[in-house]
Amino acid sequence: MAVLSFLDRERSVAHPGYSRWLVPPAALAIHLSIGQVYAFSVFKIPLSQLIGVTKPAAGDWKQTQIAWIFSLAIVMLGLSAAAFGKWLEGAGPRKAMFAAAVCFALGFYISYFGVVTHQLWLLYFGYGVVGGAGLGLGYISPVSTLIKWFPDRPGLATGMAIMGFGGGAMIGSPLSIKLMTLFKGGGETGVGKTFLVMGTIYFIFMMFGVFTIRVPREGWKPEGWTSPVKANAMITTHNVDVNTAFGTKQFWLLWIVLCTNVTAGIGIIEQASPMIQELFKGAIGPIAAGGFVGLLSLFNMAGRFFWSTVSDYIGRKPTYFVFFALGAVLYFFLPQTGANHLNSIALFVGISAILLSMYGGGFATVPAYLRDLFGTYHVSAIHGRLLTAWSAAGVLGPVLVNYMREYQLAHGVDKTGAYQTVLHVMAGLLVVGLVANLLVRPVSEKYWMLEKSPAGTAVRGH
Amino acid sequence: MTENKTKSSAATILLAWVLVGVPLTWGVYNTLLNSMRLFQVPAAPASAPASSTPTK
Repeated sequence: MAVLSFLDRERSVAHPGYSRWLVPPAALAIHLSIGQVYAFSVFKIPLSQLIGVTKPAAGDWKQTQIAWIFSLAIVMLGLSAAAFGKWLEGAGPRKAMFAAAVCFALGFYISYFGVVTHQLWLLYFGYGVVGGAGLGLGYISPVSTLIKWFPDRPGLATGMAIMGFGGGAMIGSPLSIKLMTLFKGGGETGVGKTFLVMGTIYFIFMMFGVFTIRVPREGWKPEGWTSPVKANAMITTHNVDVNTAFGTKQFWLLWIVLCTNVTAGIGIIEQASPMIQELFKGAIGPIAAGGFVGLLSLFNMAGRFFWSTVSDYIGRKPTYFVFFALGAVLYFFLPQTGANHLNSIALFVGISAILLSMYGGGFATVPAYLRDLFGTYHVSAIHGRLLTAWSAAGVLGPVLVNYMREYQLAHGVDKTGAYQTVLHVMAGLLVVGLVANLLVRPVSEKYWMLEKSPAGTAVRGH
Repeated sequence: MTENKTKSSAATILLAWVLVGVPLTWGVYNTLLNSMRLFQVPAAPASAPASSTPTK
């Protein structure tokens, strides 16, 4: 369609003089929007009281039914990132961001109709499936563009964007609450109109990203920057096609690395509030525990920027080594800070904050790790497929934590003891990640893409 | 078609960062306020019975 031709990759090539510092805000506009998904829990109570308004009534949806909306969205994030990653590489970031904005906003609009007609399946389909597809597309759309604009600092660049995903919940949560308060009344919870307004606000905000994003011209390099002559063995100057990368040992080792890191992080996130209250009975109540959860989300976000930037200096493999080695020790030690042992709230909070910063850091550093191993050519598509590890961890983490805890409690273990077992299992998971990371080696030459040499013969190219 | 060689102005770059920085700062500020509750002096132990703590 001619009217949408401005979305074409050729139309988004940067003109000479375009500043690369305009690209991170464009990426942030997308990630700050889609990060709203992690604030979905604020809708759970209003959605469970659509008929009763002030309390659940007969016919109202149960919270367990509503919880599936979020789960569907996260599963769709991984699936759509994996499915559309290769399309994105050809279509360009602008078209992918536009598609993400349309899907994400449409998800809210369909959910609005689900609320007014009281049809739960419309929320599953709207926010879960359509909106979830927007999450996946939006998450990976700026990654390879940022890496191409910042070949000198790929960790910092992707860290800035992925930090936005962590920050998105911090905007989405108070924004939703304020809007629901505004629209509440007249026998309504206000959640329907909030969906309509949020869909519109996020669409407009994401359009800022769509119109601002540019891809660099062929052969562009930062001023005064040259590729390192003596290349680091762990940083390739070659490219690997997404389908080929999918069949390499390195891809699956990184899949384990991401999956174990995320699963362990969920081990804390899932039980943060009850855990601090149980471990420090009487000293920490529900309100202070809510503050603890807020503090963790700040460290989760800050860790995304901090660790990915650190990885530019110390390397990706050593960064993950720190996550897994230090993480395993800290997870093992965490239960010892409780009232039964050291009784140090400060130590418990401090260790949890470091662990959550490394959880966020794991998300933000992985695109640069992929770029180091497989080159920039299909990095978004490879990243998209790797995100299935996130989907798997999203299921594995809560299942491990909740079932293991229930099993322990059913067998007479006290609540504090049950946390200890769960955290020790998380430490063990990190050891698995540590081994997988240590096994990562440069990708073999046989997987490199062939390129035409000036003489016209196919060579293993850059 | 003539090629656009205009250099991105500092004002444009600043505006772009402000557009994303303001909502992010607002979100961080709200979260920071929320997290401050962790450091509030707890009520007397008698008013915070352990049995009232929710579990997941």
